[in-house]
Amino acid sequence: MIQTFARTHFTGGIRLLALAAIVAIAMPFAAARGATPAEDFVQANVQKGLTILNSGGSKEQKREQFRSFLLGLTDLKRVADYTLGPVKNSTSPADLAAFEDAFREYAFAVYESEFTKYSGQTLKVTGSVQRKADDFLVSTVLIDPHAAKGSDPITVDFRIFGSPGHFTIADIIVLGLDLAITEQDDFSSFLSQNNNSVKALTANLKERAARVRAGGSLSGK
Amino acid sequence: MRGLSKLLVVCFGLLLAGCATDPNGANDPYEQTNRSVFDFDQKLDKYVISPSASAYVAVVPTPARTSIHNFLLNLDLPVTFVNDVLQGEVDRAGDTLGRLAINSTLGIGGLFDPATDFNIPYHKEDFGQTLGTWGVGEGPYLVLPFLGPDPPRDAAGQVVDIFFDPTTYVSIRSHIWYSAGRRYMSVVDLKSRNFDTLQNIERGSVDYYASVRSLYRQLRNNEIRNGRPDVQNLPDL
Repeated sequence: MIQTFARTHFTGGIRLLALAAIVAIAMPFAAARGATPAEDFVQANVQKGLTILNSGGSKEQKREQFRSFLLGLTDLKRVADYTLGPVKNSTSPADLAAFEDAFREYAFAVYESEFTKYSGQTLKVTGSVQRKADDFLVSTVLIDPHAAKGSDPITVDFRIFGSPGHFTIADIIVLGLDLAITEQDDFSSFLSQNNNSVKALTANLKERAARVRAGGSLSGK
Repeated sequence: MRGLSKLLVVCFGLLLAGCATDPNGANDPYEQTNRSVFDFDQKLDKYVISPSASAYVAVVPTPARTSIHNFLLNLDLPVTFVNDVLQGEVDRAGDTLGRLAINSTLGIGGLFDPATDFNIPYHKEDFGQTLGTWGVGEGPYLVLPFLGPDPPRDAAGQVVDIFFDPTTYVSIRSHIWYSAGRRYMSVVDLKSRNFDTLQNIERGSVDYYASVRSLYRQLRNNEIRNGRPDVQNLPDL
């Protein structure tokens, strides 16, 4: 297992989402390139994120700005619903809404704990593919000035939905590891051991978010 | 005789891999056993590997650790080269051969990595990946003691890779100790370079076992695609 993981430098589960935040918010592009609207969307928001990161406000002010910026940038509801798999169809609207809130809060808690780690990485758009009229994959590569010599480049692909002027980031794929797939596999296993109780999963996510914010152990062990 | 037994393991592995079904499901029919073995591996990591890696970082200076890392990677290159060729990846095979030649000579037996300065990137291939490019499914998910996730295709691949490794044919008085030592050092080296990542995965998971299973599969599929995005098979969000 160690051998498998350590071949590359990837983060798992919700941490992928955190890396998305770091990437989308904190990293300047290594080079601007002739771009599609979806690529422009990613690039423009990186610039906005940089402005927040480099602003002179207090840590709390930056955090608030960061949070509202992410709320407008990402479509976490789409990912949250996907992670429930078929269980979503038998979930009451109230339980589903509570789960979506918990998912978003947990994601933001992780974002906030990670975004202070920015240390000069750059991001280069390498291309994009339009899958459907409103479904795009924008490929980028992360350039880390602190990476060990000879390290593999870290590829980061953004799944973008919508149309020019109305794009949102719904998913991120780091080194081939897809946030939505990873979370769905993680959650579905939990649900199958807990009578498909979305309430139990929601409670678990809330506990985790609280622990992240308190800076404690996430594992609960 | 030893070769025959390895061959039998390969055949058994491929047979199991051929039984792979339900690619969209968990495909983990031995989950309870796997979880038990996973727990054992976790304890092994906690009481043996992690302390070893911590001591390794504390005692061995960074330049020495880098050289050991380079040396271990260089030892793997012949296996990577054969698998590059078997996959028809001519350019990557050339890269591998170039790295092997440069790092084994200018790099003093692989202790240094001048090939990177020549813009020859490192990559790793194994026969499990080669089987994947040939369309062989991974088979039912398996977790093995000491080895971690190792479904039949990848387990069989590891056995085949032994035949591709030139050091297998070098007469060493205690070959078993050489193999065990190399394996152990590889694990310690990799663990020491990925403390935070592994900890983050565990901390960020609702069900760590399920997360590892998912990440293992995605990572292997990504390796089989040589990092190219799987645009056609993205989740239906």
